[in-house]
Amino acid sequence: MAIEYKKSQAIFNEFIGVEEAEALLEWLQKNPKGKVNFAECTHIHASSLQVLMAIKPPIAAEPNDADLAVWLNIALK
Amino acid sequence: MNNLLEQFLSEARDFLQGIAEKLMQLENEPNSTELMVELFRFVHTLKGNSGLFDFPEMTRVLHASEDLMDAVRNGRVSYSQTLADQLLEAMDFVSALMDEIELTGKTGSNHVGTSTELTNALRALLNAPSAVHVPVAIETYTEDGLAVKAISWSELPPMDLPESTAMGLHRCAVDGETVLWLQYTPEPECFFKGEDPFFLIRQIPDVAWRHIILNNTASTLAEMDVFSSQLVFQLLTIASTEELDDLLRYVPDQIHRVKVPALAFVKPTGNSDDVALDEDFIINILEFFDNDEIETLTNTINTMLELSSPELWSSSALRWILHLIETEPDNKPVQRTLLEALRTQKTPDWSALTLPDVEPTQNVVASPVVSVNISEISDTLLVYFNEVIEAQKEILSLPASSGGAWSAGRLKAVGATLIGCYRAVQRANEVEHIEDALKLALTENSPTPLLIWLDNSLLDTHEPVLVEDHEQHEEHLVANHLAAQTDAKSSRRPEEIGGANIVAASKTLKVDQDKIDRLMNLIGEMVVAKNALPYLANRAETVFGVRELSREIKAQYAVINRVAEEMQDTIMQVRMMPVSFIFQRFPRMVRDISRKLGKEVELVLEGEATEADKNIIEALSDPLIHIVRNSLDHGLEMPEARLAAGKFATGKLLIRASQESDRVLIEIIDDGKGIDPDVIKQKAYEKGLIDESTLERISDQDAVNLVFAAGFSTADVISDLSGRGVGMDVVRSAVEKVNGTVGIESERGKGTRLFLSLPLSMAVTNVMIIESNTQIFGVPMDMVVETVRVPRAHIRTIKQKQTTVLRGRIVPLLSLNDLLAKSEPQLPNEDDEFATLIVRVHGEHVGILVDDFRETVDIILKPMTGILGGLPGYSGAALLGDGSVLMVLNPRELI
Repeated sequence: MAIEYKKSQAIFNEFIGVEEAEALLEWLQKNPKGKVNFAECTHIHASSLQVLMAIKPPIAAEPNDADLAVWLNIALK
Repeated sequence: MNNLLEQFLSEARDFLQGIAEKLMQLENEPNSTELMVELFRFVHTLKGNSGLFDFPEMTRVLHASEDLMDAVRNGRVSYSQTLADQLLEAMDFVSALMDEIELTGKTGSNHVGTSTELTNALRALLNAPSAVHVPVAIETYTEDGLAVKAISWSELPPMDLPESTAMGLHRCAVDGETVLWLQYTPEPECFFKGEDPFFLIRQIPDVAWRHIILNNTASTLAEMDVFSSQLVFQLLTIASTEELDDLLRYVPDQIHRVKVPALAFVKPTGNSDDVALDEDFIINILEFFDNDEIETLTNTINTMLELSSPELWSSSALRWILHLIETEPDNKPVQRTLLEALRTQKTPDWSALTLPDVEPTQNVVASPVVSVNISEISDTLLVYFNEVIEAQKEILSLPASSGGAWSAGRLKAVGATLIGCYRAVQRANEVEHIEDALKLALTENSPTPLLIWLDNSLLDTHEPVLVEDHEQHEEHLVANHLAAQTDAKSSRRPEEIGGANIVAASKTLKVDQDKIDRLMNLIGEMVVAKNALPYLANRAETVFGVRELSREIKAQYAVINRVAEEMQDTIMQVRMMPVSFIFQRFPRMVRDISRKLGKEVELVLEGEATEADKNIIEALSDPLIHIVRNSLDHGLEMPEARLAAGKFATGKLLIRASQESDRVLIEIIDDGKGIDPDVIKQKAYEKGLIDESTLERISDQDAVNLVFAAGFSTADVISDLSGRGVGMDVVRSAVEKVNGTVGIESERGKGTRLFLSLPLSMAVTNVMIIESNTQIFGVPMDMVVETVRVPRAHIRTIKQKQTTVLRGRIVPLLSLNDLLAKSEPQLPNEDDEFATLIVRVHGEHVGILVDDFRETVDIILKPMTGILGGLPGYSGAALLGDGSVLMVLNPRELI
């Protein structure tokens, strides 16, 4: 499972593929206060990225991947 | 290479050929919907097939072609010469790609540029309903109706670069590196194609600045379509163009690139609400600057920087000035402008200083379209334009003698004139910049900004290019015009070529030629094996004395014989190909060459359904191309010359194929200037091909035939097309290799007729068996005129050469034993008569003395290979029914 949905956090694991977008959107709508945790994430497919950009959820942890961190910083600020 | 790809390549070539044919036909009937639909179908299928493989460049070009053809088919765009040219060019590109795929199995990324150019050109046609003459505005690149505007760097969205990054980029740009602003707008349905735009954009190296925009059209989150891309990526990169091309080769039409000049980065940032710098300080540093006291200037600025808060706008500006002095010490105007800007605390408008540096962005039809616009300016206009601009410069450099009252008016007048001029030459986009410069000049009450702008802009207007463009354009128009006339007239008989090879595809089986050849060899062996049966029957009767068995063998032989002959016949049919296989390339070739030469040619093809063996057809291809080129280059005259000679301006080139008993006759007839025998004689004499006495007595027809002599060329100048020394002698030897003959007839001023006569098939040769010196030899029947028995008394010796008089003509006689270097004399029969074979060699009759004649047989002639292949006197060998080998002579080489 690429995204693990906990009670108040969505944990992004490594590579997030195109199929995650719909579930992510649903979860973020249901859990408006839900945080996202990118720590272990290396890449997010553009479809999920645009969901994140539309909602801009609070971030629990930034990605360890430096390049992705720069991009997410720009996209989600 | 896998099977699928192999099949694709083989089919694709058929399609390309079909597309070219249809385009040619459309030139004759531009309104034929049927042809149009057919053409669309070809392009459509080809595109679909190419999509199975990883050839983005090919698919892209085909996709654009398909869109264009779709528009033509639906009447949204009218068919035109330009359109045909563009499509043909696109197909040539596809064909080149296929060659590469065949060789390497893939296409290189170096084709991205060409493919994008072609795609854009095709797309441009899509937007110009009546083709060429509607000038297309720069920004009309559309894919789905959305106009994408060409952005010049000055219109780029603000990037808020940190000062250090900006300085770094500025330094890169000054050092000659290309800093690109890149915008990637993925198409909405890209996710369904398996693309991940974000992954792609992350692959771009050396990114200095990045930005992502979400164009969310849905009003609520619930309505958001997550599987439709709404992202726009923007970034600045110093990656090399090749690298970017390679990375973005799948999506070049979604990429917008703008080359950002160094100046664009010079943008001091900071808090400008604070107090401006002391005017005295500014006057001071300006003075240092004007007196070129750079060291004092930098010291002063450094002191100032230490004293003031680094967050201030002015501090940032001062740091920039230091940076500029370091990186671009010679760019005084920029440094000065920035110094003066310290007063206003506003970043100067650099676009007023330089021309907008619009890089030919990937998805904008910039160059071809602009050249159309500009080329509409006449030469005279351009001369006036330059004069006026020079005059304005003079006015601006006049000393402001009579005080400030005049100078403002003078500046306004100059500004108005410049705006007028630039509008007149269709460069209205400059008007803004002129206005900006004028405003600046008025506020400063000095002509300098206008002068700077003028100098910069004149440097960048590329005047010589404008003029050149114009000439090229005119040439192009003329060429187009001529070609339109030519092509409208070049005719083909549609009912014969109606896509015969493609429409019937479902019933056609493609077989590797090797397999057919193998089958053919096997049948040949079978024929020989079958021929052994009569010998066997003979032996049964004579040696073993069983007449009954002999009769049964003979009956069986009759059956096998019938089946074998039918098989042989059928396999011949399989190998037969219509001459249209080589004819079909002529319309395009004639069109291209005649256009290049500026001649008007009507090409008529006849008898394309005539069939001959594949080997013969293939052997014909090169000689025919050579002959057609010759006719176009030397035969047909220029339109003016033709009119002067009282002929139609359009020359006629007729290529006709027909069948005459067991031979194919191909004629190439032009109505050009013909061959002048006197010129030929003179040239041949100069080149030492004939001696003086021959020069005197040679007939005109014989002189014309001299063009086939080796080493003959009338062309004094080597041109693109002929005169390279590959002359008609090559044509003749190529034709003779397949047992063909070639002849020429020409009438001065009326035209030339070249004719090739070739056997229908090389597979079975009818030979006559002769005996000489107790050996048997074969002689091809098509060379034998007659066989006679010449009494010894009738042989006369003239100058040690034997001759005889046959039906009132002197025939030279040669002994076969002599020809084969045997010392034995030929044997006469009981009546002291010599068996003489009269053969035709190069149009002359020659008698060959042999010992005796035997029967004629059909044999499968096998050319000799290896060391024996070098023997010129034999054309090959064949197996006889009794298993013996028959050597077949080649009298042409022998004599």
